[in-house]
Amino acid sequence: MEASNGSAASRAGDWRKYERVLLPPIRDLHRLDVYEQHGGYRSLRSVLTSGDWTPASVTDAVKASGLRGRGGAGFVTGMKWSFMPPPEPGKARYLCCNGDESEPGTFKDRQLMEYNPHLILEGMLIASFAMSITTAYLYVRGEFADWIVHMERQLEKLYEKGYVGDNILGSDFSCDIVIHKGAGAYICGEETSLMESLEGKRAYPRAKPPFPAQHGCWGMPTTINNVETLACAPLIVERGAEWFAGMGAEKHPGPVLYGISGHINRPGVYEYPTGMLIKDLIYEVAGGMRGGKKLKALVPGGASVPVLRADMIDGVTMDSDSLRKAGSMMGTAGMLVLDEDTDMVSFLRRITHFYHHETCGQCTPCREGTGWIENLVTRIDEGEGNLRDLDILLELCDQMEGRTVCALADAAAWPVRNTINRFRDEFEAKCKPAVHATGPYAMAE
Amino acid sequence: MADFIKHPVVEVPDRAPEPVFSQEELRFTPQESAQIERFREMYPTNQGAVMHTLWLAQEKFGFLPPEVLQLVARTLEIPYPIVYGVMTFYSQYYRERRGKYVLDVCTCFTCQVCGGYDILHYLEEQLGIRKGETTDDGLFTIQEVECLGACGSGPMLQITNRHFVHNLTPEKIDRLLADLREDRLPGFVSVTLPQDQAELGGNRRTDADGVEQYVTQPIAREVG
Repeated sequence: MEASNGSAASRAGDWRKYERVLLPPIRDLHRLDVYEQHGGYRSLRSVLTSGDWTPASVTDAVKASGLRGRGGAGFVTGMKWSFMPPPEPGKARYLCCNGDESEPGTFKDRQLMEYNPHLILEGMLIASFAMSITTAYLYVRGEFADWIVHMERQLEKLYEKGYVGDNILGSDFSCDIVIHKGAGAYICGEETSLMESLEGKRAYPRAKPPFPAQHGCWGMPTTINNVETLACAPLIVERGAEWFAGMGAEKHPGPVLYGISGHINRPGVYEYPTGMLIKDLIYEVAGGMRGGKKLKALVPGGASVPVLRADMIDGVTMDSDSLRKAGSMMGTAGMLVLDEDTDMVSFLRRITHFYHHETCGQCTPCREGTGWIENLVTRIDEGEGNLRDLDILLELCDQMEGRTVCALADAAAWPVRNTINRFRDEFEAKCKPAVHATGPYAMAE
Repeated sequence: MADFIKHPVVEVPDRAPEPVFSQEELRFTPQESAQIERFREMYPTNQGAVMHTLWLAQEKFGFLPPEVLQLVARTLEIPYPIVYGVMTFYSQYYRERRGKYVLDVCTCFTCQVCGGYDILHYLEEQLGIRKGETTDDGLFTIQEVECLGACGSGPMLQITNRHFVHNLTPEKIDRLLADLREDRLPGFVSVTLPQDQAELGGNRRTDADGVEQYVTQPIAREVG
């Protein structure tokens, strides 16, 4: 898509004139009456009662819109929906809306729950219709207790008014929504462990295949989508797949909530199309670096994605293609900005501590690896490390990646590998000077 | 969560422990039982309701010693080890008694580079305890926690699994501690989106107990 605001590389069009759709500027939009006044549940009504829509045509519209999951992996949502087998009488099917938002650096779903919860709930109902689902679970992390209470209150009103429950809006479609409160575990954001958690178990991820669409919650067909992904569904129904597909980057279209934090003048959650230039986001949208310092590094989408050096972001836009070329990933679009004073070794040390704390302990490479990585990075950070430790760290990453049930081991290894490779001089500077080996090691050298 | 990694030899959960609560206390009221019944209806199996029921039990008893877990297991008609396993997996369930106010200070990632550790150490100094400890009067417990999902308004903390306190400074900590000593909780504070500031002229939620802005985050002095 051609840029129209002068910066040739932006794929977001004229973002200065962008009108927000996920969080439109309306006071008290979280209240059902206000949401209804501003066209709320119109998409649901149209899907259920106008006769223009069938489950298949809703799925096709979502497919045509090119919507990609906003939870981190960026899988095409319409495709995921079409994996669900045809309904069988007497066999339950489930939708899980993933509001576990525990990726460090990400705080967008909470803002959506705070300011526009009905968009999420409407999206869940539309998705349930598209996949003929009668029970939808909204999994919210336990830390968001305030927001859970608020949403439960709104959900009660929805039941009273007949938007949820039996024969919604007089149609023959029935669906229940259940809010499930987590209790503090990062791993629950992984889709299979989220299902385990819903079933009331320790949240150990499951091996895939079988995929959730075949064998999900309680062994039944299940689809799991992120909060922000489902919030796009009513917009696609109302405004059309073409409108959605035409917004932002070509292969990763639509509106996105960018959460910008760190050493920046105006942090916060901003809604813009995908494909925004990273430089625009930092210097135009978020007011530039704090105290006029120089940018040193940037984590574009939560702790698990590889960190980018300041010289790697020229012309890079926030969409999966551009970020992959630049050597990173879109992730959750929770951007952490770091200035020139940041100690990358201490920074990595805190990340490794996070993964060591949050590994579920099911697979040995991850359970042991995250611990050893933390020990090694801590040793380097405290000035006790050897140059050889860096190579041991990289080898540990090799041993962890792709050898576990879920992607947590990969997510723990990527930041280590990339931070060391991209800031190697800083790590070397913190290591003890190389000592020539004597004794048995001297032979090897 | 990953407790058994740090302490590989886990003692076998005590099936007949020295109870903290008496048999008379170990009982759900009719209202609570009705609530648990509603939890059970939300899931196809009884086990699905275990997390909700543990939350309810923790709110009632303050923490979850083995006899409370056994009560939950009996109520839901599921095996005790399953309840024990679930309780030990999730970090928000308390195995031991905590202070009246648990201050969960986020130090993960963004909060680290924006002064989360400064806040944690300041709190430790003010209360005279280290992280993980409880004050002698049983009022405060300090914990260091992982990302709480409020990175733009860090450093921040959460009070006893409920209210978020954003944009922390030492002065704000002083005020917060004084308020909590008089049982005044901050309530629900809404942080205004920067775009709302421009387009709506302020916060959009009129029902919030307090309103704050996203402000430039402080410079971290300590990062560990």
